[in-house]
Amino acid sequence: MSSNPLVTRRDLLRAALLPAGAAALAASGCGRGLQRTADGRREVVYWTGWSGAELAEQEKLVAQFNRENPRVRCRILTQFGQSGYQKVRIAFAGGATPDVMSTVWAEELAGYALRGVLTPLDDYLKRSGRDLDAEFTPGVARMLRVGGQTYGLAVTTNTAFIAYNRSIFREVGLDPDRPPTTTEELDRAAKLCTEYEANGSFRRYGFRPGSLQLWAYVFGGQWYDVASGTVTAAHPGNLAALTWLQSYAREYDLRRMQAFQTTFGSDQTPSGPFFVGKIAMWQTGEWAQEFIRRYAPNLDWGWFALPPPADGTGRTNVTPAGGSVFVIPKACPDKEAAWEFLNWLTSPGPVAQFCKGVHNVPPLIAAAEVDPYFHTDPLYRFCVPIAQGENAFGPPPTPVWPTYSREIGRVEEKVMLGGADPKQALEELQRRMEKEQRLVGEDLGR
Amino acid sequence: MSLTATRAARERARAARDNRTGLLFALPWLIGFAVFFAYPVLASLYYSLCSYDAIRPPRFVGLQNFQRLFFEDDLFWKSLGNTLYMVAFGLPVGLIAALAIALLLHQKLRGIAFYRTLFYLPSITPVVATSILWLWLLNPEIGLINVALAKLGISGPAWLTDPAWAKPALILMGLWGAGGGMVIYLAALQDIPESLYEAASLDGARGPTVLFRITLPMLTPVILFNLIMGLIGTFQYFTQAYVMTSGGPQDSTTFYALHLFNQAFLDFRMGYASAMAWVLFLITLACALLVFKTSARWVYYAGEER
Repeated sequence: MSSNPLVTRRDLLRAALLPAGAAALAASGCGRGLQRTADGRREVVYWTGWSGAELAEQEKLVAQFNRENPRVRCRILTQFGQSGYQKVRIAFAGGATPDVMSTVWAEELAGYALRGVLTPLDDYLKRSGRDLDAEFTPGVARMLRVGGQTYGLAVTTNTAFIAYNRSIFREVGLDPDRPPTTTEELDRAAKLCTEYEANGSFRRYGFRPGSLQLWAYVFGGQWYDVASGTVTAAHPGNLAALTWLQSYAREYDLRRMQAFQTTFGSDQTPSGPFFVGKIAMWQTGEWAQEFIRRYAPNLDWGWFALPPPADGTGRTNVTPAGGSVFVIPKACPDKEAAWEFLNWLTSPGPVAQFCKGVHNVPPLIAAAEVDPYFHTDPLYRFCVPIAQGENAFGPPPTPVWPTYSREIGRVEEKVMLGGADPKQALEELQRRMEKEQRLVGEDLGR
Repeated sequence: MSLTATRAARERARAARDNRTGLLFALPWLIGFAVFFAYPVLASLYYSLCSYDAIRPPRFVGLQNFQRLFFEDDLFWKSLGNTLYMVAFGLPVGLIAALAIALLLHQKLRGIAFYRTLFYLPSITPVVATSILWLWLLNPEIGLINVALAKLGISGPAWLTDPAWAKPALILMGLWGAGGGMVIYLAALQDIPESLYEAASLDGARGPTVLFRITLPMLTPVILFNLIMGLIGTFQYFTQAYVMTSGGPQDSTTFYALHLFNQAFLDFRMGYASAMAWVLFLITLACALLVFKTSARWVYYAGEER
């Protein structure tokens, strides 16, 4: 054994540990203090959940902000996909959050807010002379508030409607200028438009309703009472909606319908079943127009709002509200700079530009005024008032909503495909979600 | 005397130094093991007794998670049932298929290496890619499988959209990955001494006798290995369901690991998911032990007295 080695063990160890430690420090990125760029501007790190064309639109806005703002510089990072949104939770857990992020779904907002990791934005809004209720559509404003405080801001919302093929309507003797206004008319039109092959499989079908969560509102139901903070899964309106959905499972072989549907491409390809005239009515949203323009430019199509039952118990012009929500984590070291960026990004000009770019409806009432497109385009002329109406429903502000919403989907499947009894299924859901709410409440109340 | 004593002391010092050196070399692994394995495992045991959402500190709740698991979570039992179905049917089918392919490919044929490669290829394809490919193969109306069945006059099932057929569809798809087990069987087949076959043929043994009296007994250690690995793998069945069905239709492909994942990363019930992980660990352990215990009766190790 050499008594005087050129390299001692200690040297080796040090050499091995040094880069490892440096890498660990660099990777953690936590405990960030105030960040400044080389030219002395304050830096805001922004995580976005958008990718592809939508990311490009966000990057355009960020570049514009960086050009125009002398004090703050924004650095945008994409965390797209399901795992991107999951990363957010881990970032919160590790205290390694960015300054601004839009990687939070509206349905997750209450959970984060009540766990105390988000900055309430009311003071900032007030100081900048802004007013949530006056600026945002009612559905979106309701969704951004948890326990009376504003925890997020939105730059997009959507309008749900039913697109219909006018040629098929004409072919089966329906007036294409008078689309269904009640669920009864919708059912009749669906039946008229459906055609079978000799072996009983579909040649074309009329309509396949989806989302109990949404149709419950059309039938006058609700899932959660904000005022009393109670679960209302067994609401009579919800039952009416589920019973109506079940009538489709009785009338049609849904499994065959599904199999038929999968033979065509997805709704984002030229062979989408609606584009090629294989389904007469399609429950969709404003973004569909772009795909139709691209893939089926000669399709003669129209749209109508989700129709309520004829007996007057339902709601007209129902649509979901929501999508991604912008938040400022509580751990953000420079909230002023973060707000300066967020305040600009959620002002009418940028919101209008983004919504037009990604084919969504602006949740800011003023944004719809900035660009005449939202008033001249026939579909947007129809969609904007619905999104701005009272019957736009975002996720209710309860921390159990992500679980609740998934369980509503399971109930729908159990009834539609598994033949479960709607009333029993909803009552069981009510019991389980009450219990869930109590357990989460215990956790959050400590 | 004193010379031997100093020598002994020097030997001891040297042994100690060697130990230190050895430990130092093993240290990166030891640190990795402690930080990335031992600690998380122990932490999950503690979390399984907590309500823990990953954001706020864990709150000790005793056995509440286990009580919910066993008595209030219908999906726990459903997912356990789905997983046991795969263990009971998917695993044996996969083992037999791998063995059958290995026996077929253990021939002295021209270009046998090519065929072996061919059968092995699918098992090195990423599971996600395979899954998406099979989504199309299994399409009820235009998928190759049902089109082929239709040619034979059979109206194929709806596969992944039918709760009764979704799991069999996944098992069918799993056969595509039989190449992994096949390679191990092939290696073991080549290790069986030629002399045994020679002796058997001198005694007049033919095909099936040779298979059941020589080949299979000699393969039993490898079968045991594949069985145990398959058992552990099947209990953790996840990716295919996550990619292809998200657990549907009607929860028929919500396997244990998928349910666990959803609890942990969709609902952020880390404590609950930890409890689920420990229950799964105990079930897997019990099954593996059971297999080991019974293996004495059917596994033959060369050189062992019977």
